[in-house]
Parts: sequence; structure tokens; C-alpha cells
Amino acid sequence: MSISLTNIINDWIPNQSKVIDFGCGDGSLLKELIDTKKIHGYGVEIDSKKIQECIAKGLSVIQQDIDDGFEEFESSNFDISIMASSIQCLKDPHLALRRMLKLSNKCVVTLPNLGYWRCRADLVFGKMPVTPNLPSSWYETDNLHLCTINDFEKLCEDEGFIIDKKIFLNPDRDQSLLASISPNLFASEGVYLLGSK
Amino acid sequence: MNIVKKLIHFDKGLLLESGSKLDSFDLMVETYGELNEDKSNAILVCHAFSGDHHAAGLDPETDQVGWWDQIIGPEKAIDTEKYFVVCSNNLGGCSGSSGPTSVNPDTGKVYGKDFPAISVTDWVNAQKLLSDFLQIKKWHLVTGGSLGGMQALQWAISFPDNLLKCGIFAAAAKSSTQNIAMNEVSRESIRKDVNFFDGNYIEHNTKPKNGLKAARMLGHITYLSEKHMDVKFGRKFQNTDSKVSGNVDYEVENYLQYKGEKFSDSFDANSYILMTKAMDGYDASADTNGNLEKAMSVIKCRLLIIGFDSDWLYPPQRGKDIQLAGMKANVSCTYVILPGEQGHDSFLFSADKYDGIINTFIESR
Repeated sequence: MSISLTNIINDWIPNQSKVIDFGCGDGSLLKELIDTKKIHGYGVEIDSKKIQECIAKGLSVIQQDIDDGFEEFESSNFDISIMASSIQCLKDPHLALRRMLKLSNKCVVTLPNLGYWRCRADLVFGKMPVTPNLPSSWYETDNLHLCTINDFEKLCEDEGFIIDKKIFLNPDRDQSLLASISPNLFASEGVYLLGSK
Repeated sequence: MNIVKKLIHFDKGLLLESGSKLDSFDLMVETYGELNEDKSNAILVCHAFSGDHHAAGLDPETDQVGWWDQIIGPEKAIDTEKYFVVCSNNLGGCSGSSGPTSVNPDTGKVYGKDFPAISVTDWVNAQKLLSDFLQIKKWHLVTGGSLGGMQALQWAISFPDNLLKCGIFAAAAKSSTQNIAMNEVSRESIRKDVNFFDGNYIEHNTKPKNGLKAARMLGHITYLSEKHMDVKFGRKFQNTDSKVSGNVDYEVENYLQYKGEKFSDSFDANSYILMTKAMDGYDASADTNGNLEKAMSVIKCRLLIIGFDSDWLYPPQRGKDIQLAGMKANVSCTYVILPGEQGHDSFLFSADKYDGIINTFIESR
């Protein structure tokens, strides 16, 4: 059964909730959530070209480097924060997650899985993984902190983040049986809904 | 580009924030482009401290290019082929709108220093009467830089139903302590000019030109960035033939002397004091006990807030403060910080990213 990432996230986001999307890019996800869920959405993005694309869609964005922290958003009463495919690009992913759970009760995180079998196969053959989820070569990638599904879940345990929901996807963004049985080997991407104690 | 300049008389009284009342007043207005049939393509541009109604194109009388000509015009960021752009000289100014150099209808004499104190909110209220006169119910955009950006923000707060979008560039929700301090130095230099006569210089047939010139020279430094001054002038010596005075050694001195001199010929000292006082006095959160979020909670339009990295007069953080308060208040708002080499003045100049973002904002749904 094919499930799009936005559909999964859609299901986790209540109607009319106040949402902040870290690393919102061109704003496609926010736009979809606004259209389907009537959310109050804000994006955080560092690249002014992408912000211009968000402006064209009528979205609200704040230009900011996530690594600089975002304590000043804490009093904005966000219900949910989202970090889609960006966590591995940050200098301090664990601090960003802590901060996100401080400003909203729930937090959606998606990340590429370095434990995915094709990544392992690339390494076995002595080269850096290049897969649909990790498309850039080692010298071009923005990724600083890649991890496996197991690594990420260990971090959540150590930090006391509660994993409310999780879904594992293969490169076609399908939920395959193999990916759900052995995600660390067969999922190319993990999608998490986190809460804090 | 179709430029229309006219003086519009308002005989409906305007109650000012100070409690005084102007029984009637004039606004000098320039418009560019054509208003469409349903009056939905109107853009109001608010000028900065020393600007005026002449925002774009060439004024054939003065041979001057408008202060935002790089941004407003056919196929520019604010496209006059599509939009009807309006700019008015602020009340209390000295470029045609009622101000200290106008004649007080009650006394038949020039107002001079007796022109009532004006606030940013008063300007916005006067511009609302201008919108009614032009039969524009909802501006597609109200925008401006610096003091003009403060006006745009106040428009969004005072008349939430009368604008669709609001562009706030190189501005702040209130003047900073440093802003007030700088303005006080410039005011003091005017007041201490021997020709100031406690503001009654017109009666004495003179002008406090030296004070006004020094004030402008200081102002100019605050509008530019350290780097830009370095690149533009460096430590180059002024060549002897073009020195404006014998005291000048460096090019930067000559530039400031020249700019100051030119400004002191055209600007009115009482207007200078009145305008800087209006700027100092502005605080969007004054009516909500300093709570900007609460002040902004009435806003219905979309905001675009732009700050420039080299601006130290209204640093980008001041724009971000507006963004953060807007986010708390569930206002649709976007904040961008752009590279600008010219310091505070960056908002005046065309640049790819800046133009693109303004234009995209205007065209977006």
C-alpha cells in the first residue's frame, strides 16, 4: 500500500493546530497542511531563494539558521513542530530535538536510514552510500550527522523522548512488510512522532 | 509611466494623538500608473524621515529622480504597469503637505514651531482620509522603509480591514534608545544654531542652516555602513579643485559637507525636529502596555518584514522582533534578512533578491 509522507504526517496533525516546520524548503508540506488541515503554519528556512518560493505560495516563514537555536519561539504556543529530512544536516541534532520538544508537545521527525541495506552494500563495496534518500555524493552533501534507525531510537531513549508513533518506508515511500519487520535493514526512511515525558 | 502630482485639500478635521486638532490640512500626493476599475490594484508607499511624495520617475520641475525610483516603475519590483502607486508627503513635512512652513488658516501666519506635534499614527490617519478621497477601500499593499516601514506596520494595526499586504523594510516596531539619542544630537545642533531663534527663524527672515547641515551630516553617517563608507571613500584625499570648503581633507568629508549643504537648502528645521520627534515617539505597543503581540493581534493582512545585514540604525533584529510578535499573535508574516552593502539605506536600492522578494510578495495570492 502506497502512503505518501505528507499523508502520514497529515494523519498526525490535528485540524487547525499551530505548526512550525523547521527546514521548510519551498513550503510544499506547509501548503498542503494548510489546505487540508487549516493549520496556522510557520516555516523556518535559511535560504532566501526557498523563502521566496514560500512567499509565492502565501506562506509565513522566518529566515533563521536552526543551529543558532530558537528559544525565542517557545512562547508562540506551537502544537506541533516538524523536521522533515533536515535533522542530519544540523550541527547539534540532539539539541534541536530537545528544543523542538520544549516549544511544542509533539514533534514530527523524518530521517534517512544509514543502516538501509543499499547503504550497507555501498560500504561493503568500499564507497560512500548514494541512494534515493541520500542522493548527493560525499563531497556535495549537506548531511553532517547521518545515523541508523537503531541509533536514532537509542538517542530518543537516552534523551527521554517518547516515540508515540513510527512508520518505516522504502525508497518508493511505501510501507513494505520487510521494512516494518526489520526497519534498520530494510527501511530507507523513518518517520517519527515524538513527545516528551 | 503616468505621473500625476496634486495637492489635495481636506476640510474634515483631523484629531491628532497629542489632543490637538487640525481643522483642515493639505496633502501633496504623487501617483504612478492607473487605478483599475474595481480599485483593487492600489499600493500605498510611505516615505522615510526626509523623503517626500516624489517616490518615482523624474520630476520635470526639480529634475529630481524619486527616492524609490529603483523599486517603483514599469516592470520594476513595484510594477506601475500593473499597479496604481500612491505616495503622499507626510503631514508636518516641508514638501507641500501642511507643516511648519504652511500658513495657519486661523492666524494667517506661517505655523513655524507652532505646528502641532505629529505622530506616526496621525500620518496613518491622514492617509486613511486620503484613501477615502481616492475611494480605495483596500490597498493591495501598504509599504515603506525605515520610518515609512513604521507607518506601514501602523496601517496594519490601525486599519486591519483596509489593506491586503504590508511590507515593512529596514524598520522597527519602536525607536531604540540609540535612535532617540542620535536624533537628539541632531536636534541640539539645530537648536543651538544662532539663526534658530527658538524656532521662529522664518519671522527673522533666516534659517538655521548650519545646525541643519550638521544634523544631516550626522544622519548620513547613520544611514551608511562602515564597510560601505570604506569602499566608497576609503581614505582618499579630496582633489583640490572640487573641495566644497578649505577645511576638507578627505573625500568622505567633502561628501558629507556637500550632502549637508544641499539638505539644509531644501529642508525646514522645524519639520526636522517634528519628524524626528514622531520617529522617536513611535511605539506600536504603546496602547497595549508594551505588549507588541497584543498590539499586532488585530492584524488581518500578510506582513513581509525585511532587514539588511549591514543596517546598524534599524538592525535586522528589530524586524525579527516584529516577526516573533506576529508569530505569537497568529499573524501571517515572513521575515527575511538580506545582504545590503549600503547599511540602513539598503532598502532604497534595487538588488536581485530584494526586488524578487518584493515582487513575489505583491504577486502572490
